[in-house]
Amino acid sequence: MIERGTSEVLMSGNEAFARGALEAGIGFCASYPGTPSTEITTTLMSLAKIHGVYVEWSTNEKVALEACAGASWGGIAAICPMKSLGLNVASDFLLNLNLSGSGPGGLVIIVCDDPRGHSSSNEQDSRFYSKASYLPQFEPSTCQQAKDVVPVALDISREYQIPVIVRSTTRLSHSRGIVKLEKVPKRKHSAAKDIPDDLYNVPSPHLRHRMLLDKLGDIAIEFSSSPLNSTTKTAGADTLIIATGVAHRYALEAASLFDSMSLEVANLVTSNPLPGTLLKEWLRGKKSVLFVEEVDPFVEEQVLTLCAKDDLSAIQFFGKHDGTVPSHGELNTDIVVDAVARSVGLDVELLGDTTPKTIEKAKALLVPRPPTFCTGCTHRNVYWAIRKIKQRLKDKLVVAGDIGCYSLGVFYEHAMDTMQSMGSGIGTACGLGQLHRFGFESKVIAVAGDSTFYHACIPALINAKHKGADVTFIVMDNATTAMTGFQPHPGSSIQEDGMVQMSLDRIVDAIEPDFFARGNAADIPDAIDLIWDAVQKDGLKALVFDSICRLEEQRLGVAYEDQAKVTVDIDNCWGEKCKICVAQFSCPALEWNEKTDHPVILEHECIRCGACIAVCPHDALKEE
Amino acid sequence: MVDRPLNILIAGVGGQGSLLAGDVLATAAVSHGYRPVVGQTFGAPRRGGSVLTHLRFSDIDLGPLIPYGKVDVLIGLELMESLRAAISHCGLKTRAVVSPIRVHTAATLSGEEKYPEEGAVLDSLASICGEVYDLDRLSELDKALASRSLNMYLVGFAAGLAEEQLPSKKVRKAISDIVSPPEPSLESFDNGLAALKTTRSYRSEI
Ligand SMILES: Cc1ncc(C[n+]2csc(CCOP(=O)(O)OP(=O)(O)O)c2C)c(N)n1
Ligand code: SF4
Repeated sequence: MIERGTSEVLMSGNEAFARGALEAGIGFCASYPGTPSTEITTTLMSLAKIHGVYVEWSTNEKVALEACAGASWGGIAAICPMKSLGLNVASDFLLNLNLSGSGPGGLVIIVCDDPRGHSSSNEQDSRFYSKASYLPQFEPSTCQQAKDVVPVALDISREYQIPVIVRSTTRLSHSRGIVKLEKVPKRKHSAAKDIPDDLYNVPSPHLRHRMLLDKLGDIAIEFSSSPLNSTTKTAGADTLIIATGVAHRYALEAASLFDSMSLEVANLVTSNPLPGTLLKEWLRGKKSVLFVEEVDPFVEEQVLTLCAKDDLSAIQFFGKHDGTVPSHGELNTDIVVDAVARSVGLDVELLGDTTPKTIEKAKALLVPRPPTFCTGCTHRNVYWAIRKIKQRLKDKLVVAGDIGCYSLGVFYEHAMDTMQSMGSGIGTACGLGQLHRFGFESKVIAVAGDSTFYHACIPALINAKHKGADVTFIVMDNATTAMTGFQPHPGSSIQEDGMVQMSLDRIVDAIEPDFFARGNAADIPDAIDLIWDAVQKDGLKALVFDSICRLEEQRLGVAYEDQAKVTVDIDNCWGEKCKICVAQFSCPALEWNEKTDHPVILEHECIRCGACIAVCPHDALKEE
Repeated sequence: MVDRPLNILIAGVGGQGSLLAGDVLATAAVSHGYRPVVGQTFGAPRRGGSVLTHLRFSDIDLGPLIPYGKVDVLIGLELMESLRAAISHCGLKTRAVVSPIRVHTAATLSGEEKYPEEGAVLDSLASICGEVYDLDRLSELDKALASRSLNMYLVGFAAGLAEEQLPSKKVRKAISDIVSPPEPSLESFDNGLAALKTTRSYRSEI
């Protein structure tokens, strides 16, 4: 964190959320990693000891939220950071907890959406959960606000004894800005003597629902005077831009480019329940209103409803409902400039000064750069083996995929055929593995990573066994959560004090698959034999591959210089006629030299794992 | 608002040190009295994908993404990524410093696609940006590569370009404050800054 003045620091939105949690007096954090939310928890973890806070990586987001509720019931303030998809997993519990209440401690959920899906398998707006669960929601727009909303959210949660949601997006969580800090008070967290009574909704959930709606009504009134909401109060403005979250900054910048016009820009931070009184004040005297928010028209639709009720229909509204703002993808200043221009009836030229022709010419030079497995990543080896099996089966193989670094299999000759939510590889295989009775001819493989296994695979694996699905289940066990930055999980070899290492083998074994073996992902011929053997058998076959994440290995300081170098034996190489190593295996340490018609090993890139040696059918890649 | 915010865009590939380069420049900006905003992409794209770091130095919290055409200085750590960034964000006001380093993609390694010719990329960059400086493969640049501080070599060059709005002395100080060990980075920074004096802006031959 970069210091400015005494208490001003440059920090990311995620670091600011963590700082806000400490200033608020949070004592408990349970979370599961996911971009772009991960650093909230890692920051808290790095400061946990100093501030006496308990922080854990839970097995999944539902467990994390349940653990946080437990803490809050017991009087300890809790925070539960997660990515958008995580809230889907936790939502079943959330839509019960809202009615039961979160008790005296206080519970803040931070959900980080990822417009455009930079690091996600979908694009979603998680704000509908605040509507579905009738819970209050904040949307900070700067790193400063990210810090400032957490104590406010915690106060509301304590006062009304319900969870409070804070919504972030990638561009807030992962951007850095100056934040003015408050003191972190010295606190000794002590639990309540008991938990509240009646932490269940039966026999009258509908009455609990009514109580919650009453609370929400009170909160809407409170929100109408919240100092977090603001407007530029531009004199004489007849156009109002209502913006939420990071989009507010795009709106401010866009409005400054129209300085001859008078535009008022409002920042709505409390986006559920809608502060009706405040909004009516903002809308008074306006001729037109533009809504700017990331992903869904969440505030837009609520305001349109409000105006229909109160007959403010003389105002002309612009936003996603009429196509002024795009309904998919991520916003930026340029898109907002365009939207402002359209809503005030101006024609703006593109801000840039290049001609479309120049740009077209330039674009023609570019080659796409999809993410790839790192050099030496053993996930590549396993998919290589799977590709070989697919060839042997004349393509009659379906690989149901899952979420992790190994999802890159979709870019690896389509070695992985499907990819939805965590755990859905083995889940969808439960269906695919029953289709032989209807004449489905393909063999079915489901793949998963180890962190994914603990997160969501176990119920589906039990289902597969119980129903006799014909599936080969492959776990690529690299002992870490690689994709999101190497967080430990129950099976990791290095564990924090007081946490025990679980055995993935024993868990799989307890489900009693019809065939179970451990393989070595570093050994390609072995992996091919093992998978081939397994897919020939009937029933549920489980294979766990010892796998290596090379980035994790580097982090732990493993050196490879003393391993034998790999060299190219030019006499054996068949050149362009074969080219399997470079054109098909695609290790970033192998380059094709057109002039010599042979592969070249890029010494600065190669980690000497030797995987390519087995890939060459002509014995041209060798240990030196 | 400051009369003119300073917008710097760093383009590269995961693992080239663009995040650290961004931190150095932002630290320097803080010491010069700016309110920097740094927009970064990381996460899954880091596994060998393109990485863009947006630096916006002003006295208010600007949006974390530089608008189209508003980049003042483009720091291109990788040749083709420099062009990708220029297409999406640069214009006539942009001064670009571009490294000759190429990082192949799976498709260009295998020969399935051709990595574009350096000359064509530079011509194209020059058709978009106001000024383009293509770094010569001097021994100092190779030294920076060897000590894994190519990022600081380019930061040095860029600091010279942005001298008026952000004194290079402050950038240098930021390196000694936040990079450890600072020595190889400081040397690369100094060499990059010195290279500005001997490098002329690229003129297309066509
Ligand atoms: C519900 C949900 N939570 C979190 C994530 C973020 N995420 C993507 S992959 C992944 C875990 C990958 O770990 P693992 O299964 O061990 O595979 P590896 O990356 O190590 O190969 C996570 C947590 C997500 N996509 N969905
Ligand atoms: S980060 Fe690790 S698991 Fe992910 S691609 Fe790289 S080596 Fe493989």
